[in-house]
Amino acid sequence: MNAIEIINLKYRYHDGTEALRGVSFRVALGECVALLGPNGSGKSTLLLHLNGILPEKLSGNSAVKILGEPVGGQNIETIRRQVGLVFQDPDDQLFCPTVQEDVAFGPQQLGLAEAEVAARVDKSLAQTGLAGLGRRATHHLSHGEKRRVCLAGVLACEPAILVLDEPTSDLDPRGRREFKALLRQIPATKLIATHDLELAVELCSRTVVLDRGEIVADGATVKLLNDEGLMLAHGLECPHILRHVHPH
Amino acid sequence: MSLRLLHNHSRGDSAIHRLPAALKLGVALALVLTTVLLPRAQIAALLAVAAVQILIAAASRLPAWFLLRRMLLLEPLVIGVAVLMLFQPGGGHVFAVILLKTNLCLLATVLLSNTTPFTEMLRVLKRLRVPWMFVTTLTLMHRYLFVLVDEAERMRRARAGRTFRRGRRFQWGVLATVLGQLFIRASERAERIYDAMCARGWK
Repeated sequence: MNAIEIINLKYRYHDGTEALRGVSFRVALGECVALLGPNGSGKSTLLLHLNGILPEKLSGNSAVKILGEPVGGQNIETIRRQVGLVFQDPDDQLFCPTVQEDVAFGPQQLGLAEAEVAARVDKSLAQTGLAGLGRRATHHLSHGEKRRVCLAGVLACEPAILVLDEPTSDLDPRGRREFKALLRQIPATKLIATHDLELAVELCSRTVVLDRGEIVADGATVKLLNDEGLMLAHGLECPHILRHVHPH
Repeated sequence: MSLRLLHNHSRGDSAIHRLPAALKLGVALALVLTTVLLPRAQIAALLAVAAVQILIAAASRLPAWFLLRRMLLLEPLVIGVAVLMLFQPGGGHVFAVILLKTNLCLLATVLLSNTTPFTEMLRVLKRLRVPWMFVTTLTLMHRYLFVLVDEAERMRRARAGRTFRRGRRFQWGVLATVLGQLFIRASERAERIYDAMCARGWK
């Protein structure tokens, strides 16, 4: 079964901008896929479709299927339980006053008992290396810590599919390294929209390239990212990690 | 605009800071209500309330200059209201009492907000079954006040970095633009926050 199946997905913003022009691709269970593309190519818009935040009006015959189920008005709660979405700007995602409350938000919305909520909070804080930070105010954290709290908040809902929007942007090299190591440990199916090409090479066996709302390439990460013509044509480049075979 | 205004001493450490938030909220409310409801003639009682508050202030070990500055900040509003009393017969006395009463209420809230973290107060409100919509709104407001002030400060700096003209009219114009931009950004952020809440199952 496919974790994500998208067939001919189109989306137009209110102002008439065509953001997605017939996107189709599948992600198998357990796969880790990078979604690359220049700024404004429609990556974030695509990700918002994966748990039914877009389109504004959900209809029965959605172009997006999650674990075989079309995303519709009826099953939206199930879909959101299965797809964990990590937003690009941590300040958008961390809306509770303290770390603990923010991580507990998802499980509480799932209607879990208090003891179960607390257990999940502890587990995902430990998993993301944040044990002991539960009482901290979310607006006083460093950017790297905010990212990890965002991830913890989503992991606490135990989603089968993890969708991340530029998870390593604005992080310092150490933060980036640690966040990548963290992502590698998570067994869920992952779709990662990113400009961090090294992350794509290190974590994702497969890459999908989106440009102007259309899929322009889909294949093995190393093969696509070595194709300099393709990379340059779509606002990307061959990462150094692939050019220099010697370790440094 | 500066972050100094948002800074407070609510996370300090004193006998008063360590008291349960519910108790402090209750006492503050009682002090305000007493002050408001006392008749004008009861000057002695009002002074007693003042004495209680000064004792609390001393026990909370808040810097006196800090309390004074906080009070002064709101004084124009207080005087603005009280000054209307001067236009009625025997207004001098009423003016003085209103001034005293308002300042006592103000001091009570300043003391409360500087000895009790806002998040603790929200928790008390939730426990008191204050409507969840109200508590949620307050929570989000408190959370995003900091983001908004940061954003305004960044915009102000960016503007200042490219401002070569001086002149008050121009500056007012800039202020209007910044406020307008801030409003647009805030409402767009609100939409993104709502999306993020929905993504984690908000109903």
